[in-house]
Order: sequence, then structure tokens, then C-alpha cells
Amino acid sequence: MKQEQMTGSQILLETLMAEGVDTIFGYPGGSIMPVYDKLYDYKDKLRHILVRHEQGAIHAAQGYARTKGFPGTVIVTSGPGATNVLTGVADAMVDSTPVVVIAGQVSSTLLGTDAFQETDLIGMTNPITKWSYQIRKTEDIAWAVSRAYFIASTGRPGPVVLDFTKDAQVGKAEFKYEKCNFIRSYISKPVVDESKIDEAVKMLDASVRPFVVYGQGILQSGAEKELAALLEKGDIPAGSTLLGLSALASDNPHFKGMLGMHGSIASNVMSQQADLILAVGMRFDDRVTGKLDTYCKDAKVIHIDIDPSELGKNVPVDLGIVADAKDALSRIVAKMARKDRKAWLNSDKHCNEVELQKVIIPETKGTADTINPGEVVATVAEVCGQDAIILTDVGQNQMLGARYSRFKRSRSFISSGGLGTMGFGIPATIGAKVAAPDRKVCLFVGDGGFQMTIQELGTIMQEQLGVKLVLLNNNWLGNVRQWQELFFKERYSATRMINPDFEKIAQAYGIERVLVEKREDLRPAVERMFADDKPFILDVHITEANMVFPMVPPGKPVSDIMLNAKEWYK
Amino acid sequence: MEKEKHYIITAYTENQVGLLSTVAGLFTRRSINIDALRVFPSGIPGVHKFVVKTTTSEVKVRSIILNLEKKVDVIKAFCYVDNEDFNKELKDVSDYIKEREALCK
Ligand SMILES: Cc1ncc(C[n+]2csc(CCOP(=O)(O)OP(=O)(O)O)c2C)c(N)n1
Ligand SMILES: [Mg+2]
Repeated sequence: MKQEQMTGSQILLETLMAEGVDTIFGYPGGSIMPVYDKLYDYKDKLRHILVRHEQGAIHAAQGYARTKGFPGTVIVTSGPGATNVLTGVADAMVDSTPVVVIAGQVSSTLLGTDAFQETDLIGMTNPITKWSYQIRKTEDIAWAVSRAYFIASTGRPGPVVLDFTKDAQVGKAEFKYEKCNFIRSYISKPVVDESKIDEAVKMLDASVRPFVVYGQGILQSGAEKELAALLEKGDIPAGSTLLGLSALASDNPHFKGMLGMHGSIASNVMSQQADLILAVGMRFDDRVTGKLDTYCKDAKVIHIDIDPSELGKNVPVDLGIVADAKDALSRIVAKMARKDRKAWLNSDKHCNEVELQKVIIPETKGTADTINPGEVVATVAEVCGQDAIILTDVGQNQMLGARYSRFKRSRSFISSGGLGTMGFGIPATIGAKVAAPDRKVCLFVGDGGFQMTIQELGTIMQEQLGVKLVLLNNNWLGNVRQWQELFFKERYSATRMINPDFEKIAQAYGIERVLVEKREDLRPAVERMFADDKPFILDVHITEANMVFPMVPPGKPVSDIMLNAKEWYK
Repeated sequence: MEKEKHYIITAYTENQVGLLSTVAGLFTRRSINIDALRVFPSGIPGVHKFVVKTTTSEVKVRSIILNLEKKVDVIKAFCYVDNEDFNKELKDVSDYIKEREALCK
């Protein structure tokens, strides 16, 4: 029986549905109009969220993907539509976020002629995608799209770009869908070398002061339980990267805090004291290691990652294991010895006491006239019962959001890590709320980052998404200001901002906004914010010259920790 | 600075448009000069072979090899010092592909 012919646009949408896609973040235009036309018939099956700028679409897709653990989907037009997503594609590449971008392209007959809105998207995305492919034939669509989802979501996840020519969209072919689950040139799940597991177990059992450093790989492989079991069985302390946060509950006794530049004193100091570092699903970013040749010098290093190119890239390893984190950890847990290392596990009392007195109390229990950003984050954590999905933008708001948020559930912290993209926050929050409509979703964002993707308030309005946007408003590009104060002789070049009247902006979008300037108004306002599931902007005027501490200054060992502008940790 | 040496890097790839710039881009990004480059059918049906001559450090070569193999359409990559015979891996690659394909079934 001969199957019915479909247009390329319909084949695309059918394939998306077969892959399990339920939501598309997008923006139409000339070279993708046939797809948008077909989407009209699929309104009930595929939710399309119309953003206000394509950068918003890709960041929303990232927020969606990181909440759900399923690739986010973006559809945009060619030329400017496609170039507008590039920042988010690069962001997804460094943060290993599974997203599939489908961009319109001029007809294949016009390729290379500088046709209207033609850009060399494949050329531009090659270095910032896990895979990019130009679909020029209708017959290729189902194959390419299924392959895209397989590649984006397996192995070390990442962004895939499909450059979809207009003639392929309008051409006709039979719909022949076959789910992709194998590519001969690509290893989606490495086979674990059991002898290396044995070696790791041996090293771990022999270690007196082991320390685990983990990252987003734990969340992505779903290894939260295995990680907790390993720490419990061996009495082992652990520190998290920014992106690994929420993999362990904040009150887990083995959790010593975030690693690196603005991490906890305990996790930085313990990683320097350890005799064995077990790194899992992380990549030793310079924000984590500080000055590389002083990092963990006396420790043996075991590094487990699904990406072979990460092993030994920054930190030399004694044992590298290419594996899915869950797979490797469950094997190690089964074989390792139960050990009492309580003395080591609890050796961070001094670190914590110093951090509490010198950093945490001054930041979160302010007494000055103005409110500190840390007070806001801590109040949100209290009021929302540690159960919200917390997102941040980039800057001081990000580091404070990461430091003072508390988590009970996994996949509850989303931030732009490797690229540090200001403007990530608002759209990523949209994506997270779409992916988890039943959860509280709350963003910490600076006045700078807020204005980078402020137009997405329109999307929030149109979709009536109950996102809670907490604007930590200091009238500065605070993070840069901090560096200028500390390292550039207080020369505040281009960091002061005159801000708009956010009340009028909120009003224009029909979003409730509450201004908080006094400490006594903070908690009631936060309670008001979480009282319903409607969009909300909490505009808190915070201490302008506030700085984030502790801080490992760039280029210093992670044990060189500033407690404030004058004191160092001893 | 690490000592630089002459290396020959080979990569076996699927026959996909755009791979040349992917491969070249890995070198550019690490500011490694390509002394010579050849791309041709490998002898294994449907598989292309890249041969790149370059002068660089061992650390960078290692990084290139791992990142070549990380590309979805690259099957295997190898590295040789100077005048070693860089064709001897052909049989290994062919066996490897058979092994991989057997997994599919
Ligand atoms: C797109 C982009 N441009 C520039 C930067 C550099 N940068 C990092 S933090 C920061 C200041 C952020 O200011 P704001 O959003 O007000 O947050 P705050 O630090 O004050 O909390 C800047 C300019 C960046 N990370 N991303
Ligand atoms: Mg600011």
C-alpha cells in the first residue's frame, strides 16, 4: 500500500511529536513560514510559545530542558532569526544542555547567492554545536530530526542545529519515521571498564581524606541517589560546581557547599587538604580550580566523565574513567568498603564558623539601612520551603542566589555557568515554568541582566506564566563594579546605570510588582509573591556597593580566600 | 613552552558536507598551523580519510585527537610522529566499524 505523501513541514511536526516534543519556543519569519502554516493545524498537539526575541526562545528552551531532562525545541527563521539564537547555542554547548534548534533557510537553489536572509548557519554553528546539519531534501527530514534528538540528549548532551531549506519544507515525501538510537560513529553510552572501577575502589578505600567534587553530570545521568550513597558509605565530604547544585539536598551532612571562586570556605579548603579527589560529571573549570598548578597538588585524582576529552584536560588525572556517572557510581558504591572517616568529614568546623561569622551573618542578617541581596535570597529560601526551582541571571545575583538558596529536590537550580550569559534569566525562567507548571519557579536577576531580555515580559504576559522575578536592584553592573573596587583602583568605568521606572514597565505588561526598600517589608512581600501562581516582579532596592564573598581572586589558589575587602581566611 | 614536534594526524569520518571546516576549525581554535592536508576516500566504503601534517606539542595533539573523536561524524582519529606509516590502522578501523554495526542489530 502506498503511503500518503506529506509536505516537509508536516513531516517535521509529525517527527517532533514522535520524538515526544510537546512544546516549541519560537518566532516566525519568511523562510520558516510553511512550518508555521502547518503548525496552525497542530495547535492542539504542539504548544508554541511566541517569544519576543529569538534569544528568548533558545534560553527558554534551555530552562525547559534543564528542568525536564528532555531536549528543548526552538523554531526560528533564517538570517537574523538564526543569528539571534547563537548566544544561547554557545551557552548550551558549554553547559551541555540538550536543545534542538530548527532554523529556516532559503531554498537550496539559492544557497550561496546572498539571497534575502541567507546566512551560513552551519558555518557559524559548527564550533558551538554538538551536531549541525542542513536539511535540503524532504526525504531527509524524519531521519535528521530523530537523529538530532538522539544526539542532543545522549552522551554528553548538547545543542543541535538543523538548517532547514524552504524547498525541503514545501516538498512532498512519504512519512517514514524510524526512531534513531544508534549512530556508528558516535558512542552514546560508553561501556565501563570494570578494571578501572576496581582501581578506583582500591584508591578510595586506601584514602584517608577523600573529597568528591561533582557537577551537572550527576543531574544529567540521574545519579543523585548513587552519589548520596557513596558519600554515606565512605563518610566522604563533597563540594558541588555551580551547575551541580541541588543534586544533593542542601542539608545533606556530606554536602560542604559550592566549589570555587565564590564557593564555601569548607569545600575549597577541604579540596586542598584531600589526599584523593574523586571528580564526577564535572570539568574542572577555572572558576572551580583557581590557579591550576596549585590545585589539589597533594591529592591523587580520579576523574569520571562521559566525555573522554575532559579527562586530563585541565587537571592531570591518576585514573580517568569514561562513563555515565550513574553507571560508574553504582558500581563503585557496590564494591567500596564502608569506612568511618567522621573525623575528616567533620574537620571543617573552623571553616564554617569563620564563614558564618565573617560572611554569612553580615550578608544575610543585615543591620544597615539598606537590604543586602543575601537577605533577599535567604528569605525566599525560607518562605518557599526550599521547594522552588531557583534560577539566576549572571553577576552578583547569581553567586548570591547560588550561595543562599536551599534545595530539597534535584534539578532545582538553573543558571548560565560556562558562558555566563547575562539575559539568560528571564527567558530561562519562562522555560522552567512551562516544563514544571506545578512548581514554584523563582528567578534572581540583576538590574543589568533584567534589561538584557526585558522584552520577554511580553511572553510572560501572553502566556500568563506564574513566574516570580526577584530583581536585586543595585543600580550597578554589580559584579563588574566589585572587580573595579577590588582590582582596578575603584575606577568605576561604565558600570553605573540609570534605571527605568520598573513600576511603569510592570504595569505596561500587566504584571504585579512590589517595591521593597525597607527590611521590615521584605518578608511580607516575599510571602505575597508566593501566595498565588501569577506573574510577579519583586523589585528590591539593595545595598549598592555590596560585594560577594568569600572570594578566591582570579589567578589565586582556591585556599587563598578573601572574607571581605580587608580580611583573608586563615 | 612545551616542545613542538612534527605530527601526522589521521581521521576516519562519515561522508558529510561541512566536515572539512569542522576538522580545520579544531586546529584553528588551538592556533595550530596545518602544514599539509589531504582528504580522500579511505578504502572503506562510505568512509573518508583526513590526513593532516602539523607541528605542535604533544598536549595539543592529544586534545585534537580527543576532540576529533568527539565530533559525531568522526569515527576514529589517530596520531603519528613524523615518518611513521599512517596507513597501518586501516584494518583496525574497518574492524571497528564492523564491531559497531554489529551492536546496532
Ligand atoms: C552578555 C554579557 N555581557 C557582559 C557580561 C559581563 N558581566 C558579568 S556580570 C555583569 C554585571 C551584571 O550586572 P547586573 O545584571 O546588574 O547584576 P549584579 O551583578 O548587579 O547583580 C557584567 C556586565 C556578561 N556576563 N554577559
Ligand atoms: Mg546590578
